[in-house]
Amino acid sequence: MNLPTALPAAADNNSTDILAVANSPVLWACAIGVFLVIIVQSVIYMKAAKVAAPSIGMTQAEIKTSFRAGAISALGPSLAVVMVAVALLTVFGTPAVLVRIGLIGSVSYETAAAAIAANTAGAELGGPTYTQAVFGLALAAMSLGGAMWMIATLILTPLLKKGDSALRKVNPAIMLVVPGAAMVGAFSVLGIAELPKSWIHVVAFVSSAVIMTVLMLIAKRVGKPWIKEWALGIAIILGLAITYVATRL
Amino acid sequence: MPIATEAHQALTTFDKTTSRWGRITMIAGLVFSLSAPAYLVFFSGLDIQISGILGAFAALAAVFGVIWIVEPLTYYPILGASSMYQAFMIGNISNKLLPSAMIAQSTIGAKPGTRKGELASVAAICGAATVHLASLFIFVGLLGTWLVSIIPADIVQTVQVYILPTVMGAVLVQAIVSQKAPRSAVIAVAVALVVNFVLLPLIPGLAMFATALAVISTAVLAWFLRDRKAIDTTGDDAANAVNRRDADDETTDTVSGPTY
Repeated sequence: MNLPTALPAAADNNSTDILAVANSPVLWACAIGVFLVIIVQSVIYMKAAKVAAPSIGMTQAEIKTSFRAGAISALGPSLAVVMVAVALLTVFGTPAVLVRIGLIGSVSYETAAAAIAANTAGAELGGPTYTQAVFGLALAAMSLGGAMWMIATLILTPLLKKGDSALRKVNPAIMLVVPGAAMVGAFSVLGIAELPKSWIHVVAFVSSAVIMTVLMLIAKRVGKPWIKEWALGIAIILGLAITYVATRL
Repeated sequence: MPIATEAHQALTTFDKTTSRWGRITMIAGLVFSLSAPAYLVFFSGLDIQISGILGAFAALAAVFGVIWIVEPLTYYPILGASSMYQAFMIGNISNKLLPSAMIAQSTIGAKPGTRKGELASVAAICGAATVHLASLFIFVGLLGTWLVSIIPADIVQTVQVYILPTVMGAVLVQAIVSQKAPRSAVIAVAVALVVNFVLLPLIPGLAMFATALAVISTAVLAWFLRDRKAIDTTGDDAANAVNRRDADDETTDTVSGPTY
């Protein structure tokens, strides 16, 4: 086991030893805190559902069956997330990966957020400019970005519950076009910005894009949804493997 | 009548409990998730300026600001109020929580949109959360950390240096496939090419704003160049439009978007 290093001796603005800071005990404590909060929430929700069930003619067995069905169907997707998360451990450290990629966020938004934050400091994610201070900035940006989703949920849910009509009058066509375009726009500009850096960056980008495309085509052809589930993890791991071979040439 | 009143009361209690504790736990999760960077910024001795964080946050808001608001609006009609507080903390909504909830509902024969369906999906999300926390803890927390400690330094270095192009290659393809909006995709890639290979070499000072500029241009162009026949602007309301899109996604593409 890689025991978390004590921080005071390890913190160094210009050091690229990210993991010395990223695996610090305080960050571990925060990650475990998020785990505990979700456990507490699940216990409270399960109890509330069990209490409410009989009044609408739902049996305790049906609640239990629902819990089990949810658990079993989450197994595949969870392990697919695990695969992606492990690939990013050396970039963000275990606690940040657990919280940001495993739980609240997702690999695509969080990696994009970290890259955008690093760029504003004139640095790049990974590589010689990715210092401990840049990691700190990236984590702050990822966490604040993730917080905005939660704050939006906290504010909008009660409003929507009241059936606030103003929110529902947002032009539906804008809702259909703009967010999707913004998302594809963000990932394409961040991805294409990597291409001029070196031919190995091109290999990394193209190989994972091609593997993803092939997996998507196979999934469509054979109609197996689990392939789509695992596609991102497979594409990232295989892409990194091909890139590693390219660095050895 | 007395039975109906009793049922009504029990459900009101359920709504009250879940919205009160849903909010409390979500705020607690928010505090823990912000404590980690707060510690690094204020107590670790690293030189991280608040102005730098605000700049990074502004760049992020320009890119993802719309999505912060639209995603909760999108999922509300499907998840219902109580599950909103679960879903946006546990994450992986479209690829894990929604399928879990749908399978649970169909297993016990409850229809989505009914109270029975709602309770089934709350229980299913609790089940999904249990499995997810356990697998993250064991395979990432314990095994993953150990794995990183034994893999050779040159592989660690390769991963760190090339992770961004590798992730973005796959994620871009996934986003294009799941959005099913070829026009937006062509616009996005064209804008990205212009920004990276024309604009930035001409005006290097733009580097800090390049992502935001590209995203905003893509969104604006995608809106004005949208396929007006396919996208109905006279639709009734936003929630319905979103429902239509999600219904479409779920039949063909349950595990899709790189979304929360």
